[in-house]
Amino acid sequence: MLRYSLRRTAQMVVVVFGVVTLVFFILRLASGDPARMMNPPGQQEEIIQLTREKIGTDRPLMVQYWDYLLGLPQGDLGKSFHGGHPVLGELLKVFPNTAMLAVATILFSSTVAILLGIGAALRANGAFDRLVLVYVSVALATPSFWLAIVLVLIFSVHFDWLPAIDMEGPKSFVLPVLTLAVMLTPVLIRTVRQSFLETLSEDHIRAARARGIPEHRVILVHGLKVAALPLVTLIGLQLGMILAGSYVVEFIFNWPGIGKLTLDAVAGRDFPMVQGGVLVAALAFVIVNFVVDLAYAALDPRIRMSAK
Amino acid sequence: MAHLLEVRDLKKHFAGRLGLFAGSAKKTVRAVDGVSFTVDQGETLGLVGESGCGKSTLVKTLLYLEVPTSGEVYFDGQRLTEKEAMRLRRRAQIVFQDPYTSLPPRMRVGDIIADPLLIHRLADRRSVRERVNQLLEDVGLQPETADQYPHQLSGGMRQRVGIARALSVQPALVVADEAVSALDASVQSQILNLFKDLQGHLDLTYIFVSHDLGVAKYMSHRIAVMYLGEIVELAATEELYAHPLNPYTRALLSAIPSIHRDGRERIRLEGEPPDPANPPPGCKFHPRCPIAQKICAQEAPQLKEWLPGRYVACHFALDSDPAARGGLVSGA
Amino acid sequence: MTDLATAGISPEAVAASAPARTHILRQLLKRRTFVIGAAGLTIIVLIALAAPFLAPHDPMTQDLGKGLAPPFWAKGGSLDHPLGTDTLGRDVASRLMYGARNSLVIALFAVLIASVLGLVAGLSAGFSRGWWDPLLMRFGDVQLAFPFILLAIAILGVISDRSAVHLILVLGIPTWILYARVVRSRVLAERDKDYVLGAKSIGASRMRQMWRYILPSVWSAVLVIAMLDFGFVILLEATLSFLGFGLTPPTPSWGSILAEGKRNMIISPWLAVLPGLAIMLTVLAINMTADGAADVLDPKLKISVFRRTPLKKPANATWTDLEGRAAASTRSQPVATKDEMGPPTLLEVSDLSVEFPLPDKVVKAVRHVSFDVHRGRTLGIVGESGSGKSVSAFSIIQLIEPPGRVTSGEVLFEGRDLTRISNYDMAQLRGIKIGMIFQNPASSLNPVLSIGSQMVETIRLHLKVSPAEARDIGSQALLNVGIGNPQAILSRYPFQLSGGMNQRVMIAMAMLTRPDLLIADEPSSALDVTTQAVVLERLREITREHQTSLILITHDIALVAEFADEILVMYAGQVCEVGPVRSVIDDARHPYTRALLQSVPRAEIESGKRLQAIPGEPPDPAELPPGCPFADRCVSVMGICRQVNPSQVRVRPHHDVACHLWSSDKDEEKV
Repeated sequence: MLRYSLRRTAQMVVVVFGVVTLVFFILRLASGDPARMMNPPGQQEEIIQLTREKIGTDRPLMVQYWDYLLGLPQGDLGKSFHGGHPVLGELLKVFPNTAMLAVATILFSSTVAILLGIGAALRANGAFDRLVLVYVSVALATPSFWLAIVLVLIFSVHFDWLPAIDMEGPKSFVLPVLTLAVMLTPVLIRTVRQSFLETLSEDHIRAARARGIPEHRVILVHGLKVAALPLVTLIGLQLGMILAGSYVVEFIFNWPGIGKLTLDAVAGRDFPMVQGGVLVAALAFVIVNFVVDLAYAALDPRIRMSAK
Repeated sequence: MAHLLEVRDLKKHFAGRLGLFAGSAKKTVRAVDGVSFTVDQGETLGLVGESGCGKSTLVKTLLYLEVPTSGEVYFDGQRLTEKEAMRLRRRAQIVFQDPYTSLPPRMRVGDIIADPLLIHRLADRRSVRERVNQLLEDVGLQPETADQYPHQLSGGMRQRVGIARALSVQPALVVADEAVSALDASVQSQILNLFKDLQGHLDLTYIFVSHDLGVAKYMSHRIAVMYLGEIVELAATEELYAHPLNPYTRALLSAIPSIHRDGRERIRLEGEPPDPANPPPGCKFHPRCPIAQKICAQEAPQLKEWLPGRYVACHFALDSDPAARGGLVSGA
Repeated sequence: MTDLATAGISPEAVAASAPARTHILRQLLKRRTFVIGAAGLTIIVLIALAAPFLAPHDPMTQDLGKGLAPPFWAKGGSLDHPLGTDTLGRDVASRLMYGARNSLVIALFAVLIASVLGLVAGLSAGFSRGWWDPLLMRFGDVQLAFPFILLAIAILGVISDRSAVHLILVLGIPTWILYARVVRSRVLAERDKDYVLGAKSIGASRMRQMWRYILPSVWSAVLVIAMLDFGFVILLEATLSFLGFGLTPPTPSWGSILAEGKRNMIISPWLAVLPGLAIMLTVLAINMTADGAADVLDPKLKISVFRRTPLKKPANATWTDLEGRAAASTRSQPVATKDEMGPPTLLEVSDLSVEFPLPDKVVKAVRHVSFDVHRGRTLGIVGESGSGKSVSAFSIIQLIEPPGRVTSGEVLFEGRDLTRISNYDMAQLRGIKIGMIFQNPASSLNPVLSIGSQMVETIRLHLKVSPAEARDIGSQALLNVGIGNPQAILSRYPFQLSGGMNQRVMIAMAMLTRPDLLIADEPSSALDVTTQAVVLERLREITREHQTSLILITHDIALVAEFADEILVMYAGQVCEVGPVRSVIDDARHPYTRALLQSVPRAEIESGKRLQAIPGEPPDPAELPPGCPFADRCVSVMGICRQVNPSQVRVRPHHDVACHLWSSDKDEEKV
């Protein structure tokens, strides 16, 4: 157990390190000169040079990189090119907003997916199943940004029930969560359904019935316990999808979260901020997946106890 | 005359895998733990044993499909090494157990059988078709089979294809690894007879691995019984079944269900089959052996020739069956 | 060269069917989702290709006076601009059509690049045994942890004049990981299979193994993923251009039109809705095509949303289509009843038929089978695969899952017909009066529950005891089957026990309620021969002790000879011969039984004697010939055998045979 954790932690560090390095160099190599961009066009070279010195891009690339790396373990993620605020501070300010969105989405999507997935599996090829599968097909094909706009058009513009932008009060959560949920639920429903179908066709289910165990118990206890295991990994999957989707969703709904922060930073060539945003996303992804793997191993006695 | 195949103290160990939450101890599975025997041209050596005894690993190792951990294999009198494996591939072939996974699913039967011919340059693209048809006929299949895919054939037919493929390079030795175990009863005997006929016509040598003692008896001239990676008895088939000298062999033979119940007492083996990663000290069978003595837990018996042609690994080989001792030339 | 008759195959058995390649196309066309999806996709592609001819206007022509005109169905719209105009007066319909071209082309090339990269990476990773695989996978991890859209934006955001090539590279190259993972896992799975070892044994080099043997099994998965990726990339490209990082304007793209629509959402909502609709329909068509294709090309991928093969439902479905009793029963004379000498009848199966209707055929697993089980006795049912022995047993306690169903007959147990009682009543019998144990002991127990909790659950189902008391009862039951350390076993999980142990646990659980009848479906087939002996002897002891009747199902005739009192031989879903064991074994009448006894190699056969192999193969249960199913392989076949299916005839006391050789009158019409 300990060895596994250590090994995984080492892997995580390597991965995060890789991500940070990747984004650092991509930004700087592909990008133009941020100092130039921050000044009005036609600005004098000396002023631009001053800007460079101020934000630190006058130094050699490897020096900048090394400096950045050294700062990381100390919590110094650099200073924003625009205004000089510490990146970490800015990130921490907006992090809870994204986190709340993520949690609300995960709870909502998981519940819907489990209900729909199990319901579909129990009467496979029946009317409900087909309906669910149609939903899955359509939802997978729907562009998230388009859905957001359509929802806004209907619920904010036409009916004026829900706010269209900004994060203010619980009502403002509805549309963003709904949009993200439509992105997440198809894959989840399919996985739940598949897992359940497979489990229900396994030998031990039939043997349980043969022992006289009532049907509802067969499904809800025997079936669920085995089928539920792979679903634990879904949480990690969902987080990944939310991270990916948050950029678009926060952009459209003007949600003050990490996604919006990062997007704005990219547009403004604010390298440290972009790096910070990417770092947070990568860390969250990697840590949650690690926790999920541990939980899976702990729950499945075949892994937990295997000494064979 | 030199033996066709000679195996000396062959061992194959697998490093144990660590479980997620396991301790730091590494477990080595000693699948084959010091096996020696010879096989002569034209004979069939049966290899029997229960699951975990290592018979499958043994044949894969002696064919260098797995690299041995230690020990030597001599073929045609010459020592084999990994580098020379290609030479072996022309002289020795294997037929697998599961007709459903032993043939590549996306290749046509004709191509499957032709491939070894092409690899060893025994035919070129034009003449290969003829050879394939001939081989199909040899194993009792129609030439149209060459255009079909494995999934279109029944289990018995697939095994025939596997045999045809093995025969394509005109090997001297064919290993049948549980080649009929996955077939229906009414088809098994067809394939067994096919094996026998081919042996007669092509002067083949077989190593016939089986967990089914009836099959082994029908096919083999000599039989080796394996337990937990070692040979515990090796003798001519008749002798082995009539007068087994190793207590495990005796228990094994008495366990077979028989059509004619003659009220014979079945030897009940106590305890569980052992863990190959954690074998008992001394004689590996001693915890379950009905005649185990103190020495059995301390010293592992070697495979010795107790009587001419009769090899047994047991401290009390002849004591346990007085009938074997009397009337035979004493050679112990 | 070889004696074809002894070892051989009849020509009919070699199905000369068309090669599998055309098969694929035909199979694809049978699937509705594929057809609809492919049709939709074709239409969209055609529109895109024909854009220069179809588009009403040039997509770049501005007409500032006519900005933001609505589509033709709204007020103020005209057919001149059927879908309206954007802020600069450009025709929306034309821009959508040209936008389709861009999206499709970009996606196509991106997918090509990604699939090739991914295939090569996955193959090499799956096949490598050294450092290459972990390196590649770690690199993949890094990439996955980096939010892809951000990566794309970061790169594209700095390119001032974004062309299709830029987008293709940015969307294509990083997506390699999607393919690589799947390819790698497929290669790993195939690598362990015997046929790869077989390739090695014939001398194939590693390259050859990979190329000729493994790759053909893998590329179909790549194709399916590529199709799905195609839709995914279209969505991604649209998202990027919506955010402002797609093709540089004024090049038309769906995403940028949508962005414009968002900006003017209140005034011109159609500008926002129409492009999205276009995207959605395109991706939907692609996904449907991929779904339909996935089922055909690579069922193992399990991507298909609409599955073709019928799935199993839990057995709470009620019986459908129960036909009335068959006109003529296959019994010619009544079997032992309470009035005759001998033990009373516990279970009476008459004319039982079970079939499995599948999409393209009907499998007749059991056909008009009749047999009795007497109290306290063991009936052994012997047959090969496809004989219907297991299905018969399952149908006794209604364990056949849909689409399988009983189509005729009755199963009388204690005076009630089990095929007609309600689910509720059946549940009262199952596990209480009739128990069942299965072939594979390890998979017949719930893998994530301990032995103890499963036993306690069963016990408390039938007895009102506390969990602690239940554990004691369980302990005792384990002792009774010869398990010496019950307490330890109770806290273990099935995977920690050997096959023999698990099977004994199953027997213990089944015997807890002292059932009247125990059905054992191949209880020892998965066990070693020494374990088998122990388990079966224990089973015999325990059933004798409690006077439990036993139905022992097996493919091993010797097993039945030793452990059963009566034997039933089945072939192709029918009864061949039934009777007391010694009568059937020593004086077998049915040619199949005799052939079986002569052809199975047994340790008792003298050496040197040649086995009489049965020629031919068992018939396909979906395509049964008329007449006796054994006719093609029977040494005593007569003309009538191929036309009329023989019914059971009594040849000796309690010994019946279904064979024309023994029919009293040859012109029986009973089938």
